[in-house]
Amino acid sequence: MKARRLNVMEALNAGMAHELESDADVVLMGEDVGRAGGIFRTTSGLQQRFGSARVIDTPLDEKGIVAHAVGMALYGLRPIVEIQFSGFIHDAFEHIMFCATRYRWASGGQYSCPMVIRSPSYGGIKGGFWHSQSCEAYFVHQGGIKILTPATVDDAYRMMIAAIRDPDPVLLVEPVPLYRALSDEIVLDGQAAEIGRAEVVRAGQDVSVLTYGPIRHQVAKVADDLAAQTGIDVEIIDLRCLIPYDIGCILDSVTKTGRAVIVHEAPLSLGFGAELAAVIQEKAFGYLHTPVLRVAAPDVPYHFSIGDECYRPDAGRIRIAIERIMEFEH
Amino acid sequence: MAGKRKSGKKPAAGGGRAGGYCPLGDAVRAGIRQVIDAQGRLTGDLPEPDLDRDTLIRLYEMMVLVRAIDERGWVLQRSGRVEFWIPHKGLEAVHIAATMAFARNDWIFLGYRHPGALLLRGAALVQLFAQFFGRRDEPFKGRRLPTLMGDRRLNVVPMTTQVGSYIPHACGAAWGAKIKGDDTRFLTFFGDGATSRGEFHSALNFAGIFKPPVVFICENNGWAVTTPASAQTASRTFAQKGDAYAVRNLRVDGNDPLAVYAAAREARDLAAKEAPSLIEAVTYRLGFHTSSDNPDLYREPEEVEEWAAWDPLIRTCKYLERKGYWGKRQEADLWTRCTRDIDAAVEQAEAMPLPDPASMFDDTFEQMTWMLEEQKAALLGDLERCS
Ligand SMILES: Cc1ncc(C[n+]2csc(CCOP(=O)(O)OP(=O)(O)O)c2C)c(N)n1
Repeated sequence: MKARRLNVMEALNAGMAHELESDADVVLMGEDVGRAGGIFRTTSGLQQRFGSARVIDTPLDEKGIVAHAVGMALYGLRPIVEIQFSGFIHDAFEHIMFCATRYRWASGGQYSCPMVIRSPSYGGIKGGFWHSQSCEAYFVHQGGIKILTPATVDDAYRMMIAAIRDPDPVLLVEPVPLYRALSDEIVLDGQAAEIGRAEVVRAGQDVSVLTYGPIRHQVAKVADDLAAQTGIDVEIIDLRCLIPYDIGCILDSVTKTGRAVIVHEAPLSLGFGAELAAVIQEKAFGYLHTPVLRVAAPDVPYHFSIGDECYRPDAGRIRIAIERIMEFEH
Repeated sequence: MAGKRKSGKKPAAGGGRAGGYCPLGDAVRAGIRQVIDAQGRLTGDLPEPDLDRDTLIRLYEMMVLVRAIDERGWVLQRSGRVEFWIPHKGLEAVHIAATMAFARNDWIFLGYRHPGALLLRGAALVQLFAQFFGRRDEPFKGRRLPTLMGDRRLNVVPMTTQVGSYIPHACGAAWGAKIKGDDTRFLTFFGDGATSRGEFHSALNFAGIFKPPVVFICENNGWAVTTPASAQTASRTFAQKGDAYAVRNLRVDGNDPLAVYAAAREARDLAAKEAPSLIEAVTYRLGFHTSSDNPDLYREPEEVEEWAAWDPLIRTCKYLERKGYWGKRQEADLWTRCTRDIDAAVEQAEAMPLPDPASMFDDTFEQMTWMLEEQKAALLGDLERCS
């Protein structure tokens, strides 16, 4: 099979197309996803190819879209639903967190809701607070839903496939700022990503940076700069999957370097970094040379006119945290 | 090629002439109340509201100013000076006439295509442009997307950004006024798409039961992004949804400011008499959904052309000409004045400062928590070290 050059959006599209093609139970629905191919054009061409009974334009009703998908999933379909922006997912929260995730448990394992909720997320598009949200942490708290977040073309394609095939609900936290900005060669072979595996993006000896989402690319740049300018050797781990997260990969890294910096776009308090910091001190306390540091957004809404510059963690703040942890003295 | 629609012509929600896109030419059959036709002539359906010359001219001048703002906003966005734009071309009549039908101390819960409501209540043009540029010294301190506006001093509550979520807020505020025994009335605007959300139904249900002094205006502009109103509901009209909740309802020609005014005025009066209303204003979004949209993907040029013949500005202008209130010279002067005023506002607003990073933390609580104080100090320290 020949490799093709796709951007992230096209890779997500190819992943959906592959599963719509190979499994007649897969359906896709959401606002504007059909005829127009979605406001980002992520679902472009899919209705033309698979018909309007399977690629469905819905009314403007997030709660209704997810709730009806829950019903479809109970009946044995595999719905993929698109929420236009993650900022609008909250209307559907009850149906995601207390219905889709609970049918399996509450029915003693008789029913399940295999479904994918696509949640375009992250900032950097001058979107203001509803169109730039990183609200994945809300979904971490109760179990029952897996959380995947691709930040490469390969992951976009393969995580989409993995999410659709998974027997449980999956939240796919999609990287809006990378949709068109990132492209790469990929072989569209229908291979799913392995859920629960992190990726060591860069091997290093001095400090582990644990991150996920589009900001991983800023971290990589900072690491290269630091290596060239200061000799600090950063190891970068893209978690890729928040539930379940790859504890083995994290501990291997942190026990080696003895230092951990966590970087995410979501707000600080009870962000995913809080879970990581807790688990690192529980399981690797004796290996740590320093406290765990977090780089995150503050606990306030994403600001429209200066949010992309000052609210979202950037290369400067990531670098400061790494330098700080290297300078740390007891 | 994604979604080039060549299938049958579908009239925007609730039908009109068979085969046509715009039902306004056959308003009676579509149950759409009108005062004037496309040529600005009285149709004899609704009576002409009792508005004096100055008020009518003020109405029209505001419609033109608001159109001129849209034209400028678009240019500013396309040239990268404003980050984002939500057009309101073609939608001037609904919000301007309805705002004029309400009193200054009545509350309005706005959508994002309604700058005229603020201007009518005295907001300066520069305040609007400062908002479009995300500047510090506008009521929201640069925090919100361009065109999401409001101003407490003017009793205009800003939109929540989630479509329709504020409809029960308007209803609840009205209910609050009723509980307190105040005479304030409440007006809210939302789109056809918003009627699909639970909040719309919740608000109408509560309104039917508790009868607060609220007027709901559903601005049915034919489209919710790429979704036609006909795919938003299988109901024949949006107004009829009021029937299910025992809320008085009617359809008006949303491109006829006189019809909107008459309907809104009556609804305002009735609102104080335990009769909230749902008004479906049938209109059309002549522009893009937003600056990120591409209507070529989902609608036919003929549809836009057909509706353009019912442009509310043209109709109102013709009406004023017929009455002898308006002529070519006034028209030219008005556009010159609008351009000049907008030029000045743009220049002044663009020169205003951006917000300070520290200000991101303000207004999260009335009193900042120690947690935010600490986060603020850390962030400002980092930004300082970076610079
Ligand atoms: C709850 C929610 N879902 C999705 C969106 C994204 N969105 C913004 S405007 C819009 C369409 C709204 O249509 P309508 O209510 O008819 O108003 P119009 O834009 O046509 O004026 C959508 C889907 C949103 N803002 N809020």
